[in-house]
Amino acid sequence: MSGQLETYVLVLATLLGAAGMWLMLPRARPRGRMAGVALGAIGLGLLASRLPWLSDWTAGGLFVILAGVTVIAAAATVTMRNPVYSAIWFGLTLLGTAGLFLFTGAQFLAVATVVVYAGAILVTFLFVLMLAQPEGRAPYDRTSWEALISAATGAVLVGVLSMTVARTATQLAEADVPVTVDQRNDNVLADEHVAHIGTELFGRHLIAIEVAGTLLLAALVGAAVIVGQTGGPLEGPTSDQPGSDTKIP
Amino acid sequence: MDQEIVLLQNYLTVGALLFGIGMIGFLSRRNMIVMFLSAEMMLQGVSLSLVAWGRFHNDFGGQMLVIFIIAVAACEAAIALALVLMLFRRRGSLDVAVWHALRESNLPEFVDHELPGEPAEEPVAWPALPKAGLLPEVPPEETEYRPHV
Repeated sequence: MSGQLETYVLVLATLLGAAGMWLMLPRARPRGRMAGVALGAIGLGLLASRLPWLSDWTAGGLFVILAGVTVIAAAATVTMRNPVYSAIWFGLTLLGTAGLFLFTGAQFLAVATVVVYAGAILVTFLFVLMLAQPEGRAPYDRTSWEALISAATGAVLVGVLSMTVARTATQLAEADVPVTVDQRNDNVLADEHVAHIGTELFGRHLIAIEVAGTLLLAALVGAAVIVGQTGGPLEGPTSDQPGSDTKIP
Repeated sequence: MDQEIVLLQNYLTVGALLFGIGMIGFLSRRNMIVMFLSAEMMLQGVSLSLVAWGRFHNDFGGQMLVIFIIAVAACEAAIALALVLMLFRRRGSLDVAVWHALRESNLPEFVDHELPGEPAEEPVAWPALPKAGLLPEVPPEETEYRPHV
């Protein structure tokens, strides 16, 4: 009985979330964006109310704040009509993710996310946006492809995943997997975190890290080659009628 | 319920939410750069799940995978932004619909719907400094070697 109730609440939450995302996504006639925000918030709250709460309430509150910031900033990234705002909200998502990493004890990854993602990748995004942004508000930023269907797809995915996760967690709790805190203290949550990461990275994953370095070099050289070549002739903006020009340059 | 299982379930749910929101963005947005932002967001969701599983199993494998995800994401961003820049240089637009000529031959042609007229742009009230003080006197020799004073 309780399991059925859980399922109904989850389905309701994902439906509300999908409706909210659909209303918030940029459409030709934007109506009810505030209603979309309200629906999405209700859906998120319902989904959160089904999650178990950490027993330490300060830790639980911290997790809720971090996760809420991350998810709300993610929704704002997707629904903003100005791509520069999207990029800035994405930065907030990254900060929230870094906080979640820190919360779960992955200190090195938190720092790496802030430095590499928010510091380098996001700035590159903003740089390209500034370079390529046409004057004024672009018409293609004010519409989306099949907003309703894609919102429904995302909702189905999230609903199925969270339902599976809840079921798996229940099974794990019933199976009573022998995991003790003492056991953890000498590995993932150890004091010398970075030392452990380094040992692991340059021990078990030495070949992989070398390959990753080579991949980075190859990607950067490839990017330089792609940008450096002078392509076809410059053409004027054809965004007004994309159907008018069908030949591939 | 064990605290570690609670943590695992919470993290996996947040990861699923991030992945789903990123997928919605990737499917529905038309701006190529926003599409790539959404793809990066999906990677973030996967990273959260990996770290949570790594903590649950008390193993560094999850965090190692996330380090490699960050490296590959950096590569992907470099290549993708280079491609976006090149595409923008060709057509002068970040719209993916401009490239609909690359579709399958049996698919219908894309027709952009007429957008309703743009709402009148409200004048933005930028902050301005009040007029105060006197115009500073510029010594004449400074105007000789400075292009703008």
